[in-house]
Amino acid sequence: MSVLKINNLHVSVDDKEILKGITLEFKTGETHALMGPNGNGKSTLLSTIMGHPSYQVTQGSITLDGEDLLAMSVDERSRKGIFLGMQYPEAIPGVTNSDFLKAAINARRDEPVRLFDFMNNLDQAISELKMNEDLAHRYLNEGFSGGEKKRNEILQMELLKPSFALLDEIDSGLDVDALRIVADAVNKMKEENDMGLVMVSHYEKLYQLVKPSHVHVLVDGEIKAEGGYELVEKINNEGYEWLVGKQDNSDLIEKLFGFGGK
Amino acid sequence: MGENRYFYSHHVFLEDGQSKDVVLPEGVHLDGTTLSFDEGKYDLHVVIELHHDGALHYHFANNTTVNLVETRKLADNVKFTRTFKVDENANVNIFNENDSVNHEAIHFDDQGVVGSDSSFHLGYAELSDGSLDASYHFILAGPNANMKLRMAALSKLEEKKHYTVNIEHHAPYTYGIMDNYGVAKDAGSMIIDGIGTIKKGMHKSESHQTNKIMVFDEASRASANPYLYIDDYDVQASHAAGVGRMDENHLYYLQSRGLTKRQAMQLITYGYLKPVIDVVDNPMIKERFEKVLGKVGA
Repeated sequence: MSVLKINNLHVSVDDKEILKGITLEFKTGETHALMGPNGNGKSTLLSTIMGHPSYQVTQGSITLDGEDLLAMSVDERSRKGIFLGMQYPEAIPGVTNSDFLKAAINARRDEPVRLFDFMNNLDQAISELKMNEDLAHRYLNEGFSGGEKKRNEILQMELLKPSFALLDEIDSGLDVDALRIVADAVNKMKEENDMGLVMVSHYEKLYQLVKPSHVHVLVDGEIKAEGGYELVEKINNEGYEWLVGKQDNSDLIEKLFGFGGK
Repeated sequence: MGENRYFYSHHVFLEDGQSKDVVLPEGVHLDGTTLSFDEGKYDLHVVIELHHDGALHYHFANNTTVNLVETRKLADNVKFTRTFKVDENANVNIFNENDSVNHEAIHFDDQGVVGSDSSFHLGYAELSDGSLDASYHFILAGPNANMKLRMAALSKLEEKKHYTVNIEHHAPYTYGIMDNYGVAKDAGSMIIDGIGTIKKGMHKSESHQTNKIMVFDEASRASANPYLYIDDYDVQASHAAGVGRMDENHLYYLQSRGLTKRQAMQLITYGYLKPVIDVVDNPMIKERFEKVLGKVGA
């Protein structure tokens, strides 16, 4: 079993503090849901775990089985078993999916993968996720629809077999059928690989299909509520108002117009 | 040649104008430094080694279809001049591979004329070791002449590479496009001047160009300059030029999948330069291109 521990994490972007002391623990085999209104730090948390250079950790720690994750480069974190399914995956012209996937798989092996094995695994993942067969030869995410990009993230997750998968709004851009396909693939990965899962989503639908065992609600950079699946249902019925208080738009008005707010 | 391998069974090896190894199909003739192609369909690999200034003249007759790979190796200070005459309704694809290793700058001078209804596609793989100065100048001389030029160039380790690419439209209904892609790294410098000229009266012609150079480090220098000289109203023209760094978000994405920064940079560079190999369909081109890029760590 692996443990990903976040302790009193403070993160800033351009000197603005986004995360204000987050403490969380994820174990392999567990499924966590991170909920909360937009712009309250959910994506920041996932990107900080992955090591995006825009996010500065000003205080606190992240460890993976006791090792200091923050001291590792982005690629080291990936090779240690962290995977981030991104909200907006990059499109890279000229780089084919198959060249990219082969390089990513080989980066975590001593001997290069056998072409036959690689193609077999890739074909299997493509058919499971019901993607186009020409995927291998297409340029990485270039000209992909929003849904195709998200499926391609899941395909990478299947091939790289991480110990912790962080999925950032993996359901946005997916229609109902595609969401089911993705959810099936994620559930299968959880069963077969004892993977730890951290999902960010606004929609109950995903959480119905991939049931979280732990739910955390992030508001204004802090964990404001924690619980089990019942918390998903409560938020689905009542929204976040009970946590954030009655919405006051004066901040937003001030931000948009520079006056007229507080 | 370092490796004794030809891309096609038909080949010509010329060293300082002397033929060393020639296996030609019927319909292709070598006369001194002139290679002529009669009407027909051909694949050919031409290998040139020059220790002194030299020239090579290509003549493609009407209705000829040719896939040609030319590999060149020039010694210090040498100038290599080529002329191309593409007659009518010909379909000519040439992939040029510069394999030179030189300490003093070498010089290329290409001049070509493309006749009506002909299609002329050129690819330049410029991954050589050493500085160079190159001028490529082509004239679209007959209606419906079509020219596509694609270059992939790498300048590294204080090399200075300067390319001037010029496509002139001397007939109406002509189409010219160039895509010049460069990389400057480890204190390399590169200049690409792209020039499109449409003369008066050459209506319904199109001139397009893209010149892009990716700069890896502070010590490298690059400039990409597009020029369009248009003297007719009824034409289409476009240009895009840019010098910039590798996209940080692309690097982050690949690194988040476990590739080291160096591996990610190599993969992105490969993807960026690779389209040049599509000019001629031959698997050995890809193999060689990848090997050379790997060797220079790009």
